[in-house]
Amino acid sequence: MSDAGSDFSGEDGSQEDIMTPAELIAKLEETWLNERFSPELLENKSEMVECVMEQLMHMEENLQRVKKGDVKASIHRMEIDRIRFVLSSYLRSRLQKVEKFFPHVLEKEKSRSEGDPSFLSPEEFAFAKEYMANTETYLKAVALKHMPPNLQQVDMLKAVPEPCLDCFVFLRVKERQENILVEPETDDQREYVVDLDEGSQHLMRYRTIAPLVSSGAVQLI
Amino acid sequence: MDPSEVEFLAEKETVKIIPNFSLDKVYLIGGDLGPFNPGLPVSVPVWLALNLKQRQKCRIVPPEWMDADKLEEIRELERKEDTFTPIPSPHYMELTKLLLNHAADNIPKADEIRTLVKDIWDTRIAKLRLSADSFITQQEAHAKLDNLTLMEINTTRTFLLDSLKYMYKLRSNLQPGSGKSQDY
Repeated sequence: MSDAGSDFSGEDGSQEDIMTPAELIAKLEETWLNERFSPELLENKSEMVECVMEQLMHMEENLQRVKKGDVKASIHRMEIDRIRFVLSSYLRSRLQKVEKFFPHVLEKEKSRSEGDPSFLSPEEFAFAKEYMANTETYLKAVALKHMPPNLQQVDMLKAVPEPCLDCFVFLRVKERQENILVEPETDDQREYVVDLDEGSQHLMRYRTIAPLVSSGAVQLI
Repeated sequence: MDPSEVEFLAEKETVKIIPNFSLDKVYLIGGDLGPFNPGLPVSVPVWLALNLKQRQKCRIVPPEWMDADKLEEIRELERKEDTFTPIPSPHYMELTKLLLNHAADNIPKADEIRTLVKDIWDTRIAKLRLSADSFITQQEAHAKLDNLTLMEINTTRTFLLDSLKYMYKLRSNLQPGSGKSQDY
């Protein structure tokens, strides 16, 4: 009743690998967990989100043609609900981070060099800009305009805390990594290197392994 | 992360069921399932198994490790060793809870299994607390956590990570010139 088993390629089709829908869903779940556990906003995956949306719409269209009470249809519905939950939770946690770190997110977006992929999807970018404008207007209306003139400026970048990259995170290694430098906690300790074996789990600072999260070599848990 | 979300992840694990109905292959987005024939065991994700069970359409075959004798061995080993022993399923706690709550009639010695798994869990959590304590007192910057399950990590996540974060902040503010202080 559906052809969800068929392959599809990424939006631009050029550098994207061809993924099966099952791989796509696995990817979504990984991305979801990484986003949930990383202290900063990660790269946006709008392509993946669009592909998942397409799959869901496709399946829902198919389901409309099925009569009520069909056992298969109910199984498909349950699966759709599960995927939808992961997808919304993923997007929601991104928005929460945009709300929490909006000046820094926008600053990063501004300083991004031409041609680099954006960290925000176009919708998230619009949301962040609007959020910034609204917060500033609000601050002005309720407090700043009643202040002495020399105190009427507020620097959002200083007013809102930055993402804490020195936080610890839990992670599982997907591709073996050698010589990861661990910085000491106190001055009387010395720094040392560790090897991360495939499949092993670790607790360490996010800053050390942040590049590995975006390359997909480690999975936050 | 909410424990229910960890449970959600556990529901992706597969379990064998013996259906009492027949149905062709189902082509889900996440992979194909079936075909279902009465009396023939078939592997399905736990979320589907529980749903079919609730609608009295199948019998669940407990996973191999969910066996009183095997669990007793694991419990003894877990008590003997100081480190975390390898556990048969990365979601043993969630699966035990889910399957025992919804399909206790398909699992032999269900009560015994419940107690054993709880014992294993308690032993492991006690070890986890000890290691977290020494991690903090020795001010370590890296720890290897093999064999810990997601649920176990999750029970200590917020407390441990927040404590580490605040200890780091207090320390970096103590040393003048190192790192800029956070403005609030």
